Amino acid sequence: MTEIFSLYGQQDSQGPAGPSALGFGSGKPQVPQNMGPMCFQHQMVDEGGPIRKPAAMNEPFYLLRELPLENELTGHTNLITHYNLEHAYNKFCGKKVKEKLSNFLPELPGMIDSPGIQDNSSLRSLIEKPPVCNNSFSPLTGAMLTGFRLHTGPLPEQYRLMHIQPPKKKNKHKHKHLRPQDPLPPETPSDSDHKKKKKKKDDDPDRKKKKKDKKKKKNRHSPDHPGMTGAQPSGSSLR
Amino acid sequence: MAEKFDNLEEHLEKFVENIRQLGIIVSDFQPSSQTGLNQKLNYMISGLQDIEKCRQQLHDINVPLEVFEYIDQGRNPQLYTKECLERALAKNEQVKGKNDTLTKFKSLLISELGKVFPEEMAKYKAIHGDDPPS
Repeated sequence: MTEIFSLYGQQDSQGPAGPSALGFGSGKPQVPQNMGPMCFQHQMVDEGGPIRKPAAMNEPFYLLRELPLENELTGHTNLITHYNLEHAYNKFCGKKVKEKLSNFLPELPGMIDSPGIQDNSSLRSLIEKPPVCNNSFSPLTGAMLTGFRLHTGPLPEQYRLMHIQPPKKKNKHKHKHLRPQDPLPPETPSDSDHKKKKKKKDDDPDRKKKKKDKKKKKNRHSPDHPGMTGAQPSGSSLR
Repeated sequence: MAEKFDNLEEHLEKFVENIRQLGIIVSDFQPSSQTGLNQKLNYMISGLQDIEKCRQQLHDINVPLEVFEYIDQGRNPQLYTKECLERALAKNEQVKGKNDTLTKFKSLLISELGKVFPEEMAKYKAIHGDDPPS
């Protein structure tokens, strides 16, 4: 008990300070006489962070805790710069990233832009229900290969769609190479010859320009052309 | 690091090309194509074996499940990376804003308390030291 009084004796000698002018008391805890060391030890146990040492308990502040240690990395720093992700940020966020999966995997055949749920080829289903298989892959023996004897002839209609690739976008600089997906334009047989094409180009440059302009106009007014604000195919808006 | 990805990519491309050729053979099958079909089937199995060998080199690579959602929807998985970066930057800015606001509040509070309770604040500063620069 004498220890407690000695600790608080300093406060009494100092006397009331500023708070008393405001109508507050001394602000020091009034320690009752019957408090023993056990109660003092109880005060050492804090629910939250570490409390100050007993030597500092005579300060006007009680329940004063240590300041938390400052982390070097906080939200105050630019984390993208900190982790050297500027190049990645400029690459993905600076430029426009195309929406479709086929833009990421242009060489992959088939219709990959359609959702996987439609044809039951989703990765999610593969993770949720992994196929039951053996641990190793063994080549097919002759007896096993007899099961792969197929009937001659083309596939039935319902299975043919699996081989059709989506139509590739036409380049701005139109090339004359014919693609199997594109419909055949009404050209004469002589147009397929490259040399003759050059000759024709040399002969009628104005004619080609006019044809291109006409094609552009037709594409603008077609319902499939994107970016149009509901323009009618009548062509009256061009006037 | 990039080599094992290149290796896997090469095997996958060969595998996909083999499957594509298999599909062409099957789409209009002829009896003379049987040998080629059998060969392609065995190439497919050897391709799977090669891909499985690549798995050992990539056992520490983790792919977020959300990327699979993008792929299943037919969307570019780079959009996931883009959105992650944008969200990280937005959250970073948000936290920085909170940090700056709280720092300003702290300095204002200390200055105002110093005006009202000068002696106590002097003792407080003596205990905690000067405030670190924000």
